Amino acid sequence: MTMDATLRDLKKINEKYQMFHTMTDNTDPCDAKFLFSAKDNLTSKDMETCAGSRILEGYHPIFDAASIEKLREVGGKLIGKTNMDEFGFGTFSANSGFEIPRNPYDTSRACGGSSGGSACAASVIEDHISLGVSTGGSICCPASFCGVYGIAPTYGRVSRFGLIDYGNSLDKIGVLSQKAGDLREYMKIIAGKDDRDPTSMVQPDFDTGYKKMKSVAIPKEGTEGLSKEVESVFKEAVEKLKSMGVEVDYVDMPSLRYAMPAYYILATSEASTNLARYVGMRYGHQEGDHTLKFDDYFTEVRTKYFGDEAKRRILLGTFTRMAGFGGRHYAKAREVRQVVINDYKRVLKDHDAVLAPTMPFTAPKFDDISKMSALDSYKADYLTVPANLAGTPHLSVPCGYDSDGMPVGMQFVADHWNESVLFSIAEDWEKQFDLKRPEVSI
Amino acid sequence: MDVKTVLDVAKFAHISLTDEEAERYCKDLGDILSYFELLNEAPDCDERGVNPIKVEDVLRDDVPKVEYDADLLLKDMDTYDRYVRGPRLS
Repeated sequence: MTMDATLRDLKKINEKYQMFHTMTDNTDPCDAKFLFSAKDNLTSKDMETCAGSRILEGYHPIFDAASIEKLREVGGKLIGKTNMDEFGFGTFSANSGFEIPRNPYDTSRACGGSSGGSACAASVIEDHISLGVSTGGSICCPASFCGVYGIAPTYGRVSRFGLIDYGNSLDKIGVLSQKAGDLREYMKIIAGKDDRDPTSMVQPDFDTGYKKMKSVAIPKEGTEGLSKEVESVFKEAVEKLKSMGVEVDYVDMPSLRYAMPAYYILATSEASTNLARYVGMRYGHQEGDHTLKFDDYFTEVRTKYFGDEAKRRILLGTFTRMAGFGGRHYAKAREVRQVVINDYKRVLKDHDAVLAPTMPFTAPKFDDISKMSALDSYKADYLTVPANLAGTPHLSVPCGYDSDGMPVGMQFVADHWNESVLFSIAEDWEKQFDLKRPEVSI
Repeated sequence: MDVKTVLDVAKFAHISLTDEEAERYCKDLGDILSYFELLNEAPDCDERGVNPIKVEDVLRDDVPKVEYDADLLLKDMDTYDRYVRGPRLS
């Protein structure tokens, strides 16, 4: 099939699923070895980059994010930028200034967030990989809801150069695909030191060899609050793991229950400072009234173009950084992050990974999401937030389906820099798991 | 949390709120902050890193270099005489 025909088909598919905010018009085959897409908070020099926010409409970066640059260097063709929650602020990709991606298994349901468009693209398009970004669970959550494999590596493993920041101490770039083997193959390409991102410079060599997963620990806290169907599918998956020779232990990790509030304090504090740069100058919309004083000008632009959840998180983060409250909660949140890291280190001394369902429920319907309060939505992240707070690598694999045919995922968390054991269990799991692809019609 | 605090924070963050929005965010933030009180039960820890891994300062050689053409950087910016245009300072 020619590139022209491929892109024409993908545009038709995109009308139904809305995974792409922008698609390339470049039909030059240019000897592309593979096609890929990237979350729209990764800069791309040939496509507009908005990070799901209207405040960045019209922003055309002049440089590629390091991860996109590396995939292009080995012959990848970037075909589109994927829809997402504004700046990554969400669990369902429904907090977007633009299009909201539809779940490939049921378009009345969400893809998960915030890399929802990326998970959708990975699920719907054959032989496709998509770059996602995780701050609090934004790769594993949508991977689970869309029935694909997804990995968020150790914090610092992939250069964040060219990433539009949400929370600098939390953001990680990873890969989503239908095929487990793609995670290892493409992470090898995008990982590595980059002096444009100092946090990437301390990483040890990337171990790409096979490392069998021998044992997992299931924390009691990771199996509480699950829907009946997720609980049942997960139990079956654990039995399958045992039959594969993986030893399963049950442990207590009491720190996990504090991870969610600590995460939201740190993430929104960082986000509120990062978003201070968007004031209607230099990027995106710049058509404000220059006769206004700067305070009024900035306020006018930000009020007009930031969405509801972006405003909520800016307010929350600004408040948590303020004197008084900040001393009480911000410092405590930093302590809790260390407590969570210590808890993972303790358990991972005797086990290869910590295991739990990725999300407590399957992809919800948009009608149900609209009835959720902000706090309800934050609480839904309790299984994915701890590993993100700890900066430990984590991977979601599809592990079964509920009675409506919606995918369920389970998440393995390994120790810092130990991605290889995650790739290996994903590949071993894939050999015996019957992946049911969604029916995609053009 | 009260509406006045929400409006003060919003002003500091350069966001203007309608009365309805101020009330709504006040309730949301109140609920969220009440839930965060859970942290009071969390154990203390002497360590408080900024990043989840140990990060060292890695500096490049102190040699001047130009990564991007200034005119390219300015191409989509609202400029006047190669200066970025902005609002009045006073």
